[in-house]
Amino acid sequence: MIAAISVNNLGKSYNQTELLKDFNLDIEAGKITVIFGPNGSGKSTLLNILSGIVNKDAGSYHIKDFNHFQFSYIFQNYRESLLPWRKNFDNVALPLEIQNKSRQEIKQRVEELQKLFDFKFNWEHYPYELSGGQQQILAFIRALVTEPKILFVDEPFSALDYENNLRLREHLQKYYLAFKPTILLVTHNIEEAVHLADKIIVLSKRPTQVLEIIDNPLPYPRTLQSLKDEQFHQVKDKVLSAFQKATNL
Amino acid sequence: MRKYTIIGPLLLILIWAIIVHLQLVDKFFLPDPWTVIGRLFEVIWNGSILGDLFSTLERVVLAFVVSLIVGLPLGLWLGRSEKVYRSVEFIIDFFRSTPASALFPLFLLIFGITDKSKIAVAAFASMLIIIFNTAYGVMHAKKSRILAAQIMGATKAQIFRWILFWESLPQTFIGLRSAVSLSLVIIVLTEMFIGTPSGLGRKIIDSQITYEIPTMYAIIILTGIIGYILNLLFLVAEKRVLHWNGK
Repeated sequence: MIAAISVNNLGKSYNQTELLKDFNLDIEAGKITVIFGPNGSGKSTLLNILSGIVNKDAGSYHIKDFNHFQFSYIFQNYRESLLPWRKNFDNVALPLEIQNKSRQEIKQRVEELQKLFDFKFNWEHYPYELSGGQQQILAFIRALVTEPKILFVDEPFSALDYENNLRLREHLQKYYLAFKPTILLVTHNIEEAVHLADKIIVLSKRPTQVLEIIDNPLPYPRTLQSLKDEQFHQVKDKVLSAFQKATNL
Repeated sequence: MRKYTIIGPLLLILIWAIIVHLQLVDKFFLPDPWTVIGRLFEVIWNGSILGDLFSTLERVVLAFVVSLIVGLPLGLWLGRSEKVYRSVEFIIDFFRSTPASALFPLFLLIFGITDKSKIAVAAFASMLIIIFNTAYGVMHAKKSRILAAQIMGATKAQIFRWILFWESLPQTFIGLRSAVSLSLVIIVLTEMFIGTPSGLGRKIIDSQITYEIPTMYAIIILTGIIGYILNLLFLVAEKRVLHWNGK
């Protein structure tokens, strides 16, 4: 296995509460890894440490060939990460403007994604004129427009209705199959986890440890039909059993 | 809702008329509203007030522009680092709390009895308000968008230009609006108490001294109208520029 991300003995406390202690994890390159765990197990904190916006207390981590221009992070609170003073198009253009790409090239990249995902947007409008679901799709496109090699996703679908949720899962898989990035996704929705993951990492309660790593052999692309598949339920049962151990429910 | 705006002024004129009608105060010191409003139209119509009006407006605009040119970049710059702002915070707060009128003598010593000293003192006071509000806007910008841009690999300059500046704008606009009002207050005040050949403040004092009471009230109302219009202009500009605010 080629590890794209390796975490060694990572430690992090908040107000004397040990969130992560001697935490170890390897994330395989070119796969979708889903981190699934109880509330407060430090899932988001792990992503924040790895992306460099939160400091670690102990241990180390390494991300292979890390480069800000080929790394994207989709936040949970998309509403607060979009720029309301920019039109929809200029929001999507932001990461490419940061990379000093020409307007021409930005337009081309957006069109490519538009073709891949087959979505429609009124580019001349502002984000606040969109519904919550559309805003999240906008944040999603903004993250993918740079064609990241590593993608972090923090509960991106939690605020969406079921239909938009399924649509975004479809988009994510399309992008994954086209570009084969390393995707690290955090969720507390078991269906989402099994639907998307190559590997599901189940975490324990605090101080957080990896409880179990479950492989998911379901072939991509996974459709609505996959949700009814016998194999889907077998994997889901395994995850559920591991989660039971984590929570003593 | 716009139509309700007119109720306030009408109510005020009504109360004024009642007070005069019931002779609660000496009619010589408080003429009835029609006399005053009539005088206001008269001085505008025959043009006798226009020279003073333009002098005052010119000074206010100059003072505001100077305070904007100096205050805005300074506020943006100071706000970028909390340490830098905290080190000069005392100076800003001290002079912001000092009544600008108390500074007249100082500015008179520096600039002499000229227009420059009037504009300078108004610009100085307005500038402090602009610095204070702009710096606070920058310092209290939401962190989420800045973090997002950092993760995208943005440089400090890019974050400042594309995010911090915009995040600070709502607070900056509050500063600009207060600053233009304060400029008018101080300019009129200096016109009243520092010698000047023309200006609304000078006219108010002159009418008071010569007991032209209706004229005095008419010009007081005129200054009020100007202040109101300046404020309104900024509100309209704010709505257009900050259409995204709070959304």
